[in-house]
Amino acid sequence: MSVSGRTSPNPLRQRRTPASRSSGYSEIDQDEDQVEFTNPRNRSTVERFLETERASMAMLALLTFFAFALRFYKINHPDQVVFDEVHFGKFASYYIKRQYYFDVHPPLAKMLFGLAGWFVGYDGHFLFDNIGDSYTENHVPYVGMRALPAFLSSMTVPIVYSIMKECGYSTIVAAFSACIVLFDSAHIAQGRLILLDAILIFFMSLTLYSYIRFRKLRYLEFSPEWWGWLLATGTFMACTWASKVNGILTVIAIGIPVMVDLWDILDIKKGHSMEYFTKHFLARAVGLIVLPLFLYLMVFYVHLSILTNTGPGDTFMSPAFQETLRGNEMLLNSQELRYYDTVSIRHKDTRVYLHSHPELYPLKYEDGRISSQGQQVTGYGHEDSNNHWQIIPTKALPDTGRGRIVRHDDVIQLLHVNTQTYLLTHDVASPLMPTNEEFTTWPKDDYSRHNDTLFALRLVDGQEGEAWKSKSGHFRLIHLATKVAMWTHTKQLPEWAFSQQEINGIKTTNDKSTIWFVDTIVDEETGEDALQRTNIAPKEPKKRSFFKKFAELQLLMLQHNAGLTASHPYASNPINWPFLISGISFWTDGDNQKQIYLIGNIVGWWACVIALSTYAGIIGADLIARRRGIEPISDQVRNRLWNSTGFFLVVWAVHYFPFYLMSRQLFIHHYLPSHLASALVAGSVLSFVLSETINYPISARGPSMIHPKPRTYADLGLKGPIVVGVFALAMFLMFLFLAPLTYGTPGLDGDQVNSRRLLSSWTLHFAAKPTGEF
Amino acid sequence: MRPPAVSLHIGTPPEGSPRTSSEFEEIQYPATDRSSWASTPRPEEELPLHYMTEDTARRRTPRGPSSINGSIGHLNLSEKEYEAYDDGGKDVYSKMKDMKSPLGSGKIRRPPPPPPTSVGEFFQQNLEHIPPIIYTLLSCWTRFYKIGHSNLVVWDEAHFGKFGSFYLKRQFYFDVHPPLGKMLVGLAGLLSGYDGHFDFASGAVYNDTVPYVAMRVMMATFGVAMVPLGWYTAVELGMSWRACHLVALMVLCDVAWLCISRFILLDSMLLFFTFTTVFCLTKFHNQQYQSFSFDWWLWLSLTGVSIGCVTSIKWVGLFVTALVGLYTIEDLWEKFGDTRMSLRDQARHWGARIACLIILPTILYMSFFKVHFMILNHSGPDDAKMSSLFQANLVGNTLYQNPLEVAFGSKVTLKNMGWAGGLLHSHVQTYPVGSNQQQVTCYHYKDENNDWIILPRWDEPEYDADGPIRFLSDGDVVRFSHVPTKRNLHSHPVTAPVSKLNWEVSGYGDGKIGDLHDYWVVEVVDDLQRGSKSHVDKIHSLTTRLRFKHQALGCYLRAGNEILPQWGFKQIEVSCDKENNANDIHTYWNVETHINERLPAGDHKLYSTSFLRDFWHLNVAMMTTNNALVPDPDKEDILASKPFDWPWLRLGLRMCGWGASQAKYYLLGTPTIWWGGTLSLYVAALAFAVYLLRMQRKYVDMDAREWDHFLYVGKVAMLGWLLHFVPFLIMGRVTYIHHYLPTLYFSVLMAAHMLDHFVFTSRRLTERTKWIVFGVTTFAVVGVFWWFKGAAFGIDGPISNHWGLKWLSTWNIYEE
Repeated sequence: MSVSGRTSPNPLRQRRTPASRSSGYSEIDQDEDQVEFTNPRNRSTVERFLETERASMAMLALLTFFAFALRFYKINHPDQVVFDEVHFGKFASYYIKRQYYFDVHPPLAKMLFGLAGWFVGYDGHFLFDNIGDSYTENHVPYVGMRALPAFLSSMTVPIVYSIMKECGYSTIVAAFSACIVLFDSAHIAQGRLILLDAILIFFMSLTLYSYIRFRKLRYLEFSPEWWGWLLATGTFMACTWASKVNGILTVIAIGIPVMVDLWDILDIKKGHSMEYFTKHFLARAVGLIVLPLFLYLMVFYVHLSILTNTGPGDTFMSPAFQETLRGNEMLLNSQELRYYDTVSIRHKDTRVYLHSHPELYPLKYEDGRISSQGQQVTGYGHEDSNNHWQIIPTKALPDTGRGRIVRHDDVIQLLHVNTQTYLLTHDVASPLMPTNEEFTTWPKDDYSRHNDTLFALRLVDGQEGEAWKSKSGHFRLIHLATKVAMWTHTKQLPEWAFSQQEINGIKTTNDKSTIWFVDTIVDEETGEDALQRTNIAPKEPKKRSFFKKFAELQLLMLQHNAGLTASHPYASNPINWPFLISGISFWTDGDNQKQIYLIGNIVGWWACVIALSTYAGIIGADLIARRRGIEPISDQVRNRLWNSTGFFLVVWAVHYFPFYLMSRQLFIHHYLPSHLASALVAGSVLSFVLSETINYPISARGPSMIHPKPRTYADLGLKGPIVVGVFALAMFLMFLFLAPLTYGTPGLDGDQVNSRRLLSSWTLHFAAKPTGEF
Repeated sequence: MRPPAVSLHIGTPPEGSPRTSSEFEEIQYPATDRSSWASTPRPEEELPLHYMTEDTARRRTPRGPSSINGSIGHLNLSEKEYEAYDDGGKDVYSKMKDMKSPLGSGKIRRPPPPPPTSVGEFFQQNLEHIPPIIYTLLSCWTRFYKIGHSNLVVWDEAHFGKFGSFYLKRQFYFDVHPPLGKMLVGLAGLLSGYDGHFDFASGAVYNDTVPYVAMRVMMATFGVAMVPLGWYTAVELGMSWRACHLVALMVLCDVAWLCISRFILLDSMLLFFTFTTVFCLTKFHNQQYQSFSFDWWLWLSLTGVSIGCVTSIKWVGLFVTALVGLYTIEDLWEKFGDTRMSLRDQARHWGARIACLIILPTILYMSFFKVHFMILNHSGPDDAKMSSLFQANLVGNTLYQNPLEVAFGSKVTLKNMGWAGGLLHSHVQTYPVGSNQQQVTCYHYKDENNDWIILPRWDEPEYDADGPIRFLSDGDVVRFSHVPTKRNLHSHPVTAPVSKLNWEVSGYGDGKIGDLHDYWVVEVVDDLQRGSKSHVDKIHSLTTRLRFKHQALGCYLRAGNEILPQWGFKQIEVSCDKENNANDIHTYWNVETHINERLPAGDHKLYSTSFLRDFWHLNVAMMTTNNALVPDPDKEDILASKPFDWPWLRLGLRMCGWGASQAKYYLLGTPTIWWGGTLSLYVAALAFAVYLLRMQRKYVDMDAREWDHFLYVGKVAMLGWLLHFVPFLIMGRVTYIHHYLPTLYFSVLMAAHMLDHFVFTSRRLTERTKWIVFGVTTFAVVGVFWWFKGAAFGIDGPISNHWGLKWLSTWNIYEE
């Protein structure tokens, strides 16, 4: 392990007596052994040169230049819809057309795409229906839209560099971490398309940067800069979270060090009072909870303010929500139902009509059970006069007026118009499910079964006396005598019922699948045209409180996110990600044998894996050694390893391990935030392996510190630039080698594809057939 | 009451006369007498006893029921060090080491009493065993009362009774659970004179040949033993006498534990061995002060034996094993940090754990399988789950009569050689995805849909039943014709339904129609008897390992353990693997049944199968079958429940038919016990957080020993509970309420621990309050048990005659 493998200026020291122990874990006092690099002049020339302000700026500029060059190179290729641009391009169009849509991800990133599209003059006419649809033929200014993620993805590189610099690592180490992201094929491929991840990663890295700046000011508490970076952390955190669902992981990743920080402030040995602690606690609560929540809500507020027209997302929402959308069918056609109206009734989930026809149930089913041989009641998918039912009252009605309106909890009968029979259910097993009750009908004039034809009308979330409305009045039909709900499921009845859907009575009346609604009012008693009631005046959208809308939307997003379990050929398990076992085919062009295949730069990814395991080894060895009373690493370096690298590791772990618990479909691009964190870990591990010296202290000095801390300086010497230079070159060459897969151009012939298949698990297209026997 | 007859006086007793508890609160902590304690020489600290009357007892010293008389636990020697220096929070490790010394928790040690000189003294010394004896008698009554009341096969007796029968008939069967529990059922049957010839149909009436009452009694005996185990575990955990009574009462009075123990099921044994594991662990913990003594070895190895038994009953036992594992890891980590301990002792500690907690249970687990295989040496219903060679060795199986050498025209079944592999199968149902051709799957039951005929290529002359025999050899190109449907084994460049990277394998065409995609190249890997490929001339049934390469696509016929969805009847997917991975055992096949009338019968009798191979094969098969027990979304299963339904007892479970004429059993816990236990978990987590926060601010609530004790019992209960609960959230298989029953034990321990901590050992509360709390809890447990006892003893008559049983609207106790 590297602990023993490197040259250490400090030979192993024995534990000192407790009494002479230094105090305060974050304030490392003078270490008498550590004298070599207390003077910046003592460092090697290379290091001294690199650490100058100008060298650092030059490095930053160089990295940024490369980042832009690599991400904007041939950004117009391909001029076709690639992979998930199908979704996110479409959503941008909806913003421009202000049509309501529904998606599992929060809206910020998609709004930015909409904004970018609007900015470059896109009118939202194109719907991004299929991968491979042409942009040029449809006149979509897609380059402008792709420029947004490409710009943010490019800016991520200098941010990574700055994170490392702020944490006190040498310029060359910071450049190393930045290179891992800079030359990474996966970051580039993902970043130059209309996809959310580049935006997510950009905000995430900004959050980390702000938090580190904030943390460095901890001795200048409550100063304006301190507040500034605290609020910046909160703001970017909210942006990350509002860009994509997994942004919530960034919130957790920041939350953990904040908790640790607060725990330390609480420690009585620090000598702080409870008031002091409360002040700190409140400041963080405001900056990292209240502000982000407010911003997150704001994003949704803007989202809902833009999308005011009816659109494809309507059907996901509740009737009350839909009525707030301009042009929504439910808003236009919903009207109160009166007794003796003839209506057609539809099942909410399976969209079939309540149907009946003169044919009877067969006496005996295939499995030997017996039916009532009554008239069949089925679910039918198409409009038909056999779907018409009349609402019959069970109480005395006034001749005219609002007393004739059907209301929540009323007891009704449903008369099948064509056969003049009442809907009925009874304690006979249904054709397909022995546990459920059969639905049938009974002649109108025969009163012997009157009680079995009574149903209670229960509106969903109905209030006392609420009127029943068509379209929006979702309801359950509860049988009064046996307490079952009318229900249907997708299973088809056999041939004797024309393969229509079974309708039966289910005991779990509160199930979500027992909801029905009235589709149309066909006719009414007076014979006047039912539509007359509809088109009185164009209706204005109704108002609904933002918080209600937000709550509904948020809940739906969570439910649907968990529901994305369908299998996908390119979905992969989290365990495969760090090792780059498999990628995703984004786009192919058969004629020219071009393809975009999302795969990382194998040099960088594996370096990160090695760094992570090295770090685990160092920490493990350190723990074991200290358990035996040996201290192999000096306190300052150990402190850096635990606090700085440890923070990066927490970010990595928090963005990675929760995916193991998710049952939804997962893709390798979910690992990209973690990959960025692992690049940070890799940088600090490299710094530790090359030299035991560190730049210290890096936090701003505060008024409470009377004695200035002794400074030490990192010195990697010449080996730093050499190692990093060789590594960057290797990364760049590997990047060039994989570039045809990253940019989707130029096309490759079969053998070239085969040579790029570095791991046998990469499923590239257009591979040459293996010639001959193996 | 007098203290134990002998006690040693060491050190100076604290000054002052006995105090009342109210006076005590005025003492500032740390008390002044501390220094005098700390100054006592170390070796003597080892000896614990120090006599004082109960009222002088220091703050909240926990007392086991055996020490009612007021012997005091020693104070941890580490406290001095803990206080002595302020290390600025850095030296967390040495602090941890001192604070977590295992001596600070558990039962308080006493020197063994002198041998009794009279009966009276003997009685005196063993007074502490009176309550558990009474509880055991009570538990005999609850467990055995009316045990034969229902003469029907209740619930899973249908499974486990049947499995027990197989042992008596010595027929091989397959089940997802390891064999120990079912062997014990078989043993119970044997002892009670059952001949094994009853098929245990669900709900059937037992006939005269089945001594079901005797069998149930034997199973219930395990349930009886739970009660004393609960008591003694509480004692070993160092709980106060009231808490011990409560633990015993709760174990005695839980209706679910009672109900599940009274039938021929595995659960009573699983619970028994879970209890013994915890008991042995706590017992071992209390021997920690005298490492490597006889008692220490005894309880360590008994813990190992318990682990071996509990995992051999159901794999759920692995959860309690994990608890022991975590305890051991923490313990070893403590010892590792003890720099005074010699290297040799370190190694001995590690070695002892490895030998007793890993090797011993593994040997036990494997030996139960060995016995299992030795008993079941006859052919039975589930032979096909095992490898072909294993089957050939079963009495009554005719595989060994297979003609030895495989030829064209042979009717064969093909067995996948991967662990838990099945037989190549096809049926008339088609794929709903991909090509929509006939499905080809891997299947574990023998029927004629597994039969295939080896035929020559289309361009060769048709197979002639009278022509010369053509034996199959390496490199031959053949096609396989499915016997019942005449379809040919076929593959084409269509993505397979589950393994998306492979090609689909289907049944296509018939005896006349076919194409080049029906050709498979036979490749010999090796032969289990004859060795490597060079020794194989002709292909033998059973022993030759083959691979089948699709000639046109170059892919290999493969059956991994991917399960098809419902449309494929949850059978194993067969696909064609594009990767030529020569070591992939899932692409290896052997000929199992081989029928060819023109060839002489062979004799494979001499071919033996290795135990380790069969053992591993069976375990993988259990694993894959277990994973395939996923809830069917199309089917509504009113018996199944979700893990979150359990802690608050949201659902019960009907164990039998609900007719008015039969005795009805409803698997439902005693609500007060379940709710109280769950509540105590929340209380414990909250209390722990509050104590931590207060410690960070240097508020001292407890001395180090009390804190140790609070943590130790809390850890056993909380970790035990989490380890038994969380895995059910993650696993995809269908879960039932009885999966919570082992988990419940830990919440019961936690409930007692919390009452102990906040009430029974509290200094602020008076004896009277403690009595009141104790009385109320006892009444709540016993009274509610009495109210619901019918659920376990059997409810007679129409259910509607029994009033007031439905406490939650979600219980389906009344509706038809």
